[in-house]
Amino acid sequence: MATVDEVRGGAPAPDPRPRKKSAKPRRGTLLGQDRRLGYGLTAPAIVLLLGITAYPLVYNIWNSFHYAVPDIPFINGKLAGLANFRRMFSVGSTFMPALLHTVVFTVVSVVIEVAIGLVLALALNKSFRGRGLVRAAVFIPWAVPTVVSAEVWKEMFDPQQGFVDYALRLLHLPGGTTTWLANTDTSWVALFIADAWKNTPFVAIILIGGLQVIPAEIYEAARIDGASPWRQFRRLTLPLLKPALMVALIFRTLSAFLVFDVIYIMSNGGPGTSTETLAYLDFNAFHVDNDYGYGGAISLVLIVLCLLIAGAYTRIFRERA
Amino acid sequence: MTVLSKAQPGRLARNAAYTAALAALLGTAAACSSSGTPAAQASANAQQTIVFATHGLGAEGQATNAAIAGFEKQYPNIKVQVFNLDASSTNQLTQLEQRFQAGTGLDVVDGDVTWAPQFAAAGYIKNLSSAGFDTSQYFPGQVASAQYNGTLYGVPWYINAEGVYYRTDLVKTAPTSATELVSDAQAAMKSDSALKEGFAWEGDKYEGAVCAFIDFLGGFGGKLDLSNLNTAANQQALQFMYDTIHKDAVTPQAASSWQESNVQSAWESGQTAFALNWPYEYASTLKLASLKSDIGWIPFPSTAGTPAAALGGDDLMVASKSAHQAADVEFVKYLTSVAAEQQRAQTAGDPPGDKSAYNDTLYAAAPYFKAEQAVFADTVSRPSSPVYPQISEVLQTMISSVLAGQSGPSAALSSAQSQIQQIPGYTA
Amino acid sequence: MSTLTITQDGRSAQFTVPRRRSVRPASVGRTVLLSLFVLVSLFPFYWIVITSFKTNADLARGTHSLLPTSWSWSAYKADFSQYDYWHNVLNSAIVAVSTTAITIVVASAAGYALARTRMRGRPIMLGFILVAGFFPVMAMVGPLFLTFTHVNAIDSFWTLILSYLVYTLPIAIWFLANFFSQIPVEIEEAAVVDGLTRFRALFRVIVPVAMPGVLTAAILSFILAWNDFTFALSFMQTPSKYTAPLAINNLGHSQFQVFPNMIDAAVVVVTIPIALLVLMAQRRIVSGFTSGSTK
Repeated sequence: MATVDEVRGGAPAPDPRPRKKSAKPRRGTLLGQDRRLGYGLTAPAIVLLLGITAYPLVYNIWNSFHYAVPDIPFINGKLAGLANFRRMFSVGSTFMPALLHTVVFTVVSVVIEVAIGLVLALALNKSFRGRGLVRAAVFIPWAVPTVVSAEVWKEMFDPQQGFVDYALRLLHLPGGTTTWLANTDTSWVALFIADAWKNTPFVAIILIGGLQVIPAEIYEAARIDGASPWRQFRRLTLPLLKPALMVALIFRTLSAFLVFDVIYIMSNGGPGTSTETLAYLDFNAFHVDNDYGYGGAISLVLIVLCLLIAGAYTRIFRERA
Repeated sequence: MTVLSKAQPGRLARNAAYTAALAALLGTAAACSSSGTPAAQASANAQQTIVFATHGLGAEGQATNAAIAGFEKQYPNIKVQVFNLDASSTNQLTQLEQRFQAGTGLDVVDGDVTWAPQFAAAGYIKNLSSAGFDTSQYFPGQVASAQYNGTLYGVPWYINAEGVYYRTDLVKTAPTSATELVSDAQAAMKSDSALKEGFAWEGDKYEGAVCAFIDFLGGFGGKLDLSNLNTAANQQALQFMYDTIHKDAVTPQAASSWQESNVQSAWESGQTAFALNWPYEYASTLKLASLKSDIGWIPFPSTAGTPAAALGGDDLMVASKSAHQAADVEFVKYLTSVAAEQQRAQTAGDPPGDKSAYNDTLYAAAPYFKAEQAVFADTVSRPSSPVYPQISEVLQTMISSVLAGQSGPSAALSSAQSQIQQIPGYTA
Repeated sequence: MSTLTITQDGRSAQFTVPRRRSVRPASVGRTVLLSLFVLVSLFPFYWIVITSFKTNADLARGTHSLLPTSWSWSAYKADFSQYDYWHNVLNSAIVAVSTTAITIVVASAAGYALARTRMRGRPIMLGFILVAGFFPVMAMVGPLFLTFTHVNAIDSFWTLILSYLVYTLPIAIWFLANFFSQIPVEIEEAAVVDGLTRFRALFRVIVPVAMPGVLTAAILSFILAWNDFTFALSFMQTPSKYTAPLAINNLGHSQFQVFPNMIDAAVVVVTIPIALLVLMAQRRIVSGFTSGSTK
């Protein structure tokens, strides 16, 4: 049975700084019991996370340096050296174009989503009657499956049955006869809109969270000083919102960099190869070509790039904070 | 890692319900069992159930069910269970590969003509050379595609060849060149305002586009020689595909994402004068109540020697890990018998893979099979290779990027050739 | 500028000046802006709802009417009878609920340990969980597929649940560690004085007190699991085991035609639970991200 002292012995808060006082565990002491409880309770989470990520990761690294093509037994399992990586940069490879598409998609969609999400968050942070309903209405697109957003916008952009072309014609605007997903430029427009529709609310949710922790007193003081709303926004809101903005940026950048489902459903990488992204190529290598070596190499590159992005953000975050 | 080594499942945790849950969970994942050795073979007379992986809904599905009913009547001890594959052939291939790799569950497999070499090389399917099938009964091109290293692994079930359908009310005489086809299509679009396009064909990034490409290659004397792709004739064929959409305006831009089904609906709704499609369309068109005119079906016209009609169709294969191989072979023999193939031809419009099925019995029931012979005579196979799916993927990318205007024919062809060299296991 | 305070919460009511209640440009602008956002967010749903009630004949006529032209359940009936779509929705529910339950139990335990015990290596574990949270699981779909194939687990719900845990656990652990650390130690002491072990106290006392945080973590886990497409696409092979999003991608496409009404009917069915969840829990979602993003 536990004692009050044992409970008191617990750490008060998840403080990431190492504490000097936790020196050596005295065997059989309360501290020792406390630690054992800690290990026991953390073990399932650590084992699960390590098991699901570490083994496949190691397996994948092995594959990427081998020919891993189970359908072709006479070469399957042989050492490939860097062949799988060289293939990415060979003549006619779609890897570099896909990398370019991925970077462009990430930058454009994140900028759109953070900009609109910020406006949305500011508008929704003020209290007004029916705010809960309005928030729920605006958040729903974020919560629905990507299949839903992708199918919905695929239909909206359909030249015959869709709404977009119909609306353009109705308003006598140009583009009313566009087959959006059959054109290398317009297919990106459709993808950006579908992606922004779903993910802008996510940015807004995080930013509202950030706005809520800014104390209202600061604004009152600024108002007394006669600061204009724009100045208040620039000097107070934006700097204080930085942590939340950073979180939104990291989450959105990483998931945009790995974009797959919306593209698979709406454009399937086409027309041509114009909307193929790295995650799309990766999926293709694994599930269409059954080439686990090449797929593994692409996965590895993706993982490294993502960790670099996450690392860069955390660095910027630390420097600014 | 230090975290892990120090973590001990303490007394508390051991008693907890969640540890049990976790153990169950990891137990499932750790229940590592390899597919094991082939099971003992059941004799053809034993009571057994075999699983037949096939695809096709509607008329094709009905024809399959009718054939199975006939087989089960003849072999009361054998039950056939259908495993329905996806409608898209790319997904079918994935589904089959995954089942084969797992090693269980499939006995008889219905697969595209291009798959036998790959399955054979991987050891997924049984060598049928001594199972009593007479290869001289089948069309030579299809037999060749069902073999690997000269050995028979698949039995031709039905053959397919892709050709050009045209409406005789709009096109009086069949065109004799690609240029003529385009000008006929343009003239038809001018004369009939109901036409939305002149020539419908499938340009989506999938296997069908490779078949269409083979048809068009014949028109210009091109060849799908994987070690010499970037030839003038091949460039012309790709340029033709691009031009029908972007220059001649006889094919809509949407066709670059069309599959056969889209071509079919364009054709059957009377929107087009020409349509590239397979034999099933013949049966399907003749059944249409709205049919306004007679139709013709020709190989894509060629100005350089013989035309080419992409060879399609399905082969039947027996899984090498099946425990019912004797019964499997009996089932394949039943399905490929002349009577069963004629039955399927009449109900589903699938042309028999057995040459002797083309006799008066068939023509009496479905006369159009006689007219189809002209196209069957010009069949050209797709490359036969154990890495064909990967090769096809490269070719699809090539066609698709030309149609989207991303790259010119010459650049696309040379890129494709270099990418094919990169496929692991590819040998010229 | 004091008029701005009208829109502030009740606490600033003493600053409001009733006679200035007339409409002001700023508030008009915001109303217009928000109406626009609501319209853009909800119109596509309206469009699919009316399409889902159209018959195939209506679709063939190609009407663009913004008002429903017919109220036919035919597309819904087709989804449920031809495609057994209920089954897929049920599969999604099983997977999402299991993921949520496992996440809550495992993350509560770990969150508590990180918040309230003095075990060693805590910074390492926190760091590990943070890295796991940023780990690009999406790039691991292929490797995970291979791993699951190796252990013969492919085509099973466990493959999905285990994969989703990589997303849900790190987020949930961070949330819950935060919530637990804010609970006064006295509450736990009282429970221990009453004779509970600390382990029991965790699930009998701490978790119930931290219910708002637990619910938020549960809602987010549920949404993540309910919405996945990529893992299901890679791991599930038998149509009867497809989750709803995967089924939506397959139904309504015959060999010859696409039936948007059937796709949309399925979309409506999968969206309703999520829409209700957001409607009921909108406040909780925001507050969850508040504590999650600022700590």
